[in-house]
Amino acid sequence: MTLAQALLQIGADVSRVADATFSVAGLQWILITLVCYTAALALFRLAGGSPWLHPLVITATGVGMTLYLTETSIADFQTYAGIIHWLLGPATVALAIPMYNQWQQVRDLGWHLLVSVMAGGILAPLLAWTTLYLLDAPLALQMTMLVKSITTPLAMEASANIGGVPALAAVFVITTGIVGAVVTPAVFHIFRVTGAAAQGVALGTVAHAVGTAKALQMSEQAGAMATLGLCLNGIVTAVILPLML
Amino acid sequence: MTVLIRHLLGWTGLLLCYFAGKVLVLMWELPLPAALTGLLLMLLMLFVRGGAVSVATAGAPLLRHMSVLFVPAVLGVGVYWQSIYLHGWALAAAIVGTTVVALGLTGLVAQRVLQRRLVQTE
Repeated sequence: MTLAQALLQIGADVSRVADATFSVAGLQWILITLVCYTAALALFRLAGGSPWLHPLVITATGVGMTLYLTETSIADFQTYAGIIHWLLGPATVALAIPMYNQWQQVRDLGWHLLVSVMAGGILAPLLAWTTLYLLDAPLALQMTMLVKSITTPLAMEASANIGGVPALAAVFVITTGIVGAVVTPAVFHIFRVTGAAAQGVALGTVAHAVGTAKALQMSEQAGAMATLGLCLNGIVTAVILPLML
Repeated sequence: MTVLIRHLLGWTGLLLCYFAGKVLVLMWELPLPAALTGLLLMLLMLFVRGGAVSVATAGAPLLRHMSVLFVPAVLGVGVYWQSIYLHGWALAAAIVGTTVVALGLTGLVAQRVLQRRLVQTE
């Protein structure tokens, strides 16, 4: 594809999203989504940040119920509120910021950190894929499951590149995060993981952003290490998987 | 006023990296996701310039409220309900079971490799 063609395609994408956004239905559905999200945030805070009440789960339920009651199809909603999905692109680019901020830590800890993150980055997808393979699940599900431990925007993009399903990737990833955050105290007790740094790295690497939020509740050091695990594992996995498969 | 300019500059930077990533992927048919390429470009820019306050300002709300951006995608899962229902047990085992094991084993490795190193340096 030439530069001009690429720019034309990007321009067409942007104008399609802009057209949908500045329509009555577009503004209406964006507003409904934001209202649901604000309510979900309030509820999440009220519950002391319980992973069960992750804002995405509550927001999606609220919007889904509104769609059902107004007899609007999900495909129409996705067109009207297209800008919300489109913003994932710039948000993914913004993930470079925490990675850059934590770079000094990467240099200080060196291979000690890399080995720890690699353990989670390889174990989590390998175990999940093996489970689905042994239980005879379809190939698209197997491919999607490979990205379950990396942060949602990277998981959605990477899954599309390896023959998975982005929408399923989003659900698998969020579920993984919630499960990870909920079982953390028991798992760390059983496996005798006592250090804040070790707990943080494991949470960020295996349970991405939801795990990082949990680590931040535990201690500042655990939170910083979780952010590192999240960024490193997310970027490296999303680069390697499409090249490998 | 300066805050507003900082946001505008930061957004310009984020969008430029995003679009540049997309252009590169389309032109050279890279086997990489477009936004990830944009992320790598942004990382390169941050290293070359030694950080950028404007990008950090503009990126902060995006990162903090990323959850809401997944709503359209997550709702799209309804189309695959049949396949989730058919393989419910396999999916549950893959997500719950392996997350528990991976979390524990990763913690164990980090405890041995990383935590020990931190204790030594303190």
